[in-house]
Amino acid sequence: MTPPTLGNTTPGRELKRRFLWLGLAMSLGLVMLSIQLYRLQITRGDEYAAKSVANFVKEVRLRADRGVIKDARGTILVDSRPSFDAFITPAFCTDCFEQVIPRLAELLQWDADQRKKVEDTVRMGRRNAPFQPVPVRVDLTRDEYDRLAARRDILDGVEVAPVPHRFYRTNTVLSHVLGYMNEITQEELERLNADGGRYALGDYIGRRGLERYFEQRLRGQDGVRKEVVNARGQTIEELNVKLGDNAVVPPVAGSNLVLSIDMRLQEEAERAFPGATGAVVAIDVNTGFIKALVSRPGFDPNLLTGRVTPAQMALLSRDPLEPMVNRVAAEHYSPGSTFKVVTQLAAYKSGSFRPETMVSCPGGYRLGARTWRCHKDSGHGLMDGYNAMKTSCDTWFYKVADTIGLDPIGEMGKALGLGAPTGINVVAEVPGIMPTSAYHDKASPGGYTKGMALNSAIGQGDNNVTPLQLALVYAAIANGGTLYKPQMVQRLENLDGQVIEEFKPEVVRRVDIPRAHRDAVVEGLVKVAQEPGGTAYRARMAGISDKSMKVAAKTGTAQVARLGTVRLKTHQMSYFERDHAWFAGFAPADKPELAIVVLNEHGGHGGSDAAPTAMAVIQKYFDLKKQDATAPPPRPNQPYTPSVSRRAPSADEAALTRGVLPPAQLPGDEEDDTRATAD
Amino acid sequence: MQLRIERRMVPHIPWGLIICVLAVCLLGIWNLASASRPPLAPVWSSQALYLGLGMVAVLVVCLVDYRWIQRMALPIYAANILALIALRFFGHTAKGAESWFIIGPFRLQPAEFMKIGVVLMLAKVYHDDFRPNEPSYGLMRLWKPVLVFGVPFVLVLVQPDLGTALMIGLTSLTVILFGKVRWYLVATLVAGVLAGAIIIWNDYIREVPEPRPTIVRHHLKKHQSQRISGWLDPEADLRGSGYHAAQSKIAVGSGGVSGKGWREGTQTGLRFLPEQHTDFIFSVWAEEHGFVMCVLLLLLYGAIFIFGLGVGFNARDRFGAFVAVGVVAMLFWQVFENIGMVIGLLPVTGITLPLMSYGGSSMMSVMLSVGLLVNISMRRHMF
Repeated sequence: MTPPTLGNTTPGRELKRRFLWLGLAMSLGLVMLSIQLYRLQITRGDEYAAKSVANFVKEVRLRADRGVIKDARGTILVDSRPSFDAFITPAFCTDCFEQVIPRLAELLQWDADQRKKVEDTVRMGRRNAPFQPVPVRVDLTRDEYDRLAARRDILDGVEVAPVPHRFYRTNTVLSHVLGYMNEITQEELERLNADGGRYALGDYIGRRGLERYFEQRLRGQDGVRKEVVNARGQTIEELNVKLGDNAVVPPVAGSNLVLSIDMRLQEEAERAFPGATGAVVAIDVNTGFIKALVSRPGFDPNLLTGRVTPAQMALLSRDPLEPMVNRVAAEHYSPGSTFKVVTQLAAYKSGSFRPETMVSCPGGYRLGARTWRCHKDSGHGLMDGYNAMKTSCDTWFYKVADTIGLDPIGEMGKALGLGAPTGINVVAEVPGIMPTSAYHDKASPGGYTKGMALNSAIGQGDNNVTPLQLALVYAAIANGGTLYKPQMVQRLENLDGQVIEEFKPEVVRRVDIPRAHRDAVVEGLVKVAQEPGGTAYRARMAGISDKSMKVAAKTGTAQVARLGTVRLKTHQMSYFERDHAWFAGFAPADKPELAIVVLNEHGGHGGSDAAPTAMAVIQKYFDLKKQDATAPPPRPNQPYTPSVSRRAPSADEAALTRGVLPPAQLPGDEEDDTRATAD
Repeated sequence: MQLRIERRMVPHIPWGLIICVLAVCLLGIWNLASASRPPLAPVWSSQALYLGLGMVAVLVVCLVDYRWIQRMALPIYAANILALIALRFFGHTAKGAESWFIIGPFRLQPAEFMKIGVVLMLAKVYHDDFRPNEPSYGLMRLWKPVLVFGVPFVLVLVQPDLGTALMIGLTSLTVILFGKVRWYLVATLVAGVLAGAIIIWNDYIREVPEPRPTIVRHHLKKHQSQRISGWLDPEADLRGSGYHAAQSKIAVGSGGVSGKGWREGTQTGLRFLPEQHTDFIFSVWAEEHGFVMCVLLLLLYGAIFIFGLGVGFNARDRFGAFVAVGVVAMLFWQVFENIGMVIGLLPVTGITLPLMSYGGSSMMSVMLSVGLLVNISMRRHMF
């Protein structure tokens, strides 16, 4: 070892000074760290403490049970059933796009579109909320459930969980009224939450009918459960005690709806109504509450609420029979002869006509150079007001229109609610058209002419009503002139059956109809059903067993296509050009309770194709009334089980059979043919 | 080569340094027991094993006269360089970097030991290169120290292990500055730091409409650029680049004055921080024990540095003094950078906290360094 030289063995003094500087610099560095620590832990400690809590507390939404919908006697029509939905949690789905989704597509038989849609939602979920399960298939069938369960091992991140699913126990019956539900859209979400709603993406929201109108009431209030989660979003059960007492806010279930519709009467209406398309509506003349409501064809809300495929959706929307349209209120039709009550009331009110006023019917009415034909070419002979109603003699009403003009008729119609929405709100409606001279001056080329009044007087021309409006007109005549707002929800109840809100009958207006006029019209209507030769006589005799009860009724056969010179038989016309069969009336005539309108679209003749349905409903109504007076009330909250023997044709069946629907002709039935020739 | 401890060495054993180191180690194991609470694997027991191995290493290093180590500095350095080069061919890739050898059950990170190699080599250079009449280093004379740290710096940088490269660079820079350089070099350094600050300000902070006229930013890789922006504003991209920084600040800040209690930390327990038992171990400490204990830990580290510098101060020769400076600088920069990144002062780099973080290589290299300090201290009066 070489003896060390002084120079490089002992560190010099200047080196020692540098050690001091270095120590100082390092201390300074540590002081800097302490200052930052002070800022974080002392100055902003509370803020970060709050952030750390927000980090690990996840709020889990507890969904409120949606309210059920019951009929007038408490039978449950719509409730929730458990269904199994398949979810993908993007964060746990390894090889999602290479392995899992192709396998799922195979097991659940997805087409390319559905597969792409699922891939997109999973991709989006992976970016935004990777721990939020994404529903990829709602309402698995038993078969699909088994298939998924069997291949659990290869489906990473796929889970099957029970989810309450809206269950429409009536299937297609009442579908337009009950509505259906489907997923909320982004725009709706933003709009509703801006108004204080608490929806989340993926929530279902009521569409159409009661589900839409009472969405907020049915929905209830969601609760919240706070959970401790770790950074991977997994719940840590043991730590939940840290959250304290208010960790759970229980949900409040939605209100239950009680309808005015009695399902037994509804079933009878469904059974008795023969048409492929059309409507039946029965309302209480003294309250405006709807007792039965048929709109055919319907749709299956269970299908639309669950997994409707694009192909099925297209089939529904393209169907020429338009199953999504509520024919009771959202479609209007020429009322045909059923409109004549309005014309007759206007005639009596004008003072120019009295029930005894005789008009001779030679089989038509001449106005200027043209002749308006009566439906009976041979003519009815001399007719007074009663018999004109009974036989539906068009000539009598042509004479009225010729004498008093269109406007008194239009005013009477408007007073009775025609040409304006009824205010039902719950379902969509169209206002219909009640023409007046002002209307024609505006709408028709050349303006108003007398001929238009003649057409309107017998319910043709531009005259258009919805079956619901017509039922309200007959109800108003029955009760002496009170026009009610139609309603179908009696009350809202909470879970325990306590009434939250009761809906009272609402009067729209009282129409000034002198008692004598009303009685004269009703007398004519009674003749229609009660006297031989009346257009509804045969149906009334066959349909109602209680011979002492008087029915006031009017049938109608509204022409759809313009007539040529030759009258075609029904079977010679294509389906969509055939006449609408109408029935409108109420019972009992002396102490009215129930007004009913039947529209058998393209169904043929009012007396044969609409009246029997109405008679069956009336018969059932009074049967039930008698039965309920003696029998004890049923236990409420029984789930509804369909007992309708005649199943409503599905959209497919209707499409297949419509061309050859046999006209259900009652042989020998005398018919009223309301035919107006406009040229 | 003498493997013995003589009686006259005993009074010079730096007990203060050893006690501080052991205290930090024990606190570290206790802290790891919290960071790795069930259901995680109880890594604290393996850390205790590493500590035991580390103490053996200290002992072994103490037995050898450091002048023998001085002679062996070049071979040690060369072996480390070879190991780094071998890493290019036999290395195990994890987290995007080729930094590990797999030897049986162990994963060895040669870069950790490279740091010590660089420190030894630098000290040897400064020892041999001493010119009493020319105390400060000019640009020309610096080529040897620069070469010594430049080669491993580049080798580690291309792994890529930016953090360790940065540590090698900063440690060497400290040693070089300690070895005294000409004033213009210091001025250049200050100007460089200023320029860096201006570039960062221009590229990341300045409010200008897009497209931003950037100077360096477009040359960086995306993850590197994100580290800088994540450091400057961790809340801006919580799920991405800012996640670590933001969660770590939340963990530290929520500790408050007295902390949440051992094994009571929510950020730790619910694993909001990946790497919480390695790089982000300090956040666990800060969250569970609060400001007071954080300062205590800093004081302990401070004591280690001061004692370490004291060893150098009293060292027998320039080699010992420079080794002590290098070792302490290495420890200081790691502590500073690691805690700085945990509390949001510095950008996130993969640097472990000496003696606290879980990891055998890290523990071993720190213990070897401490062994060197003890060695130098014990032999201060030997000739």
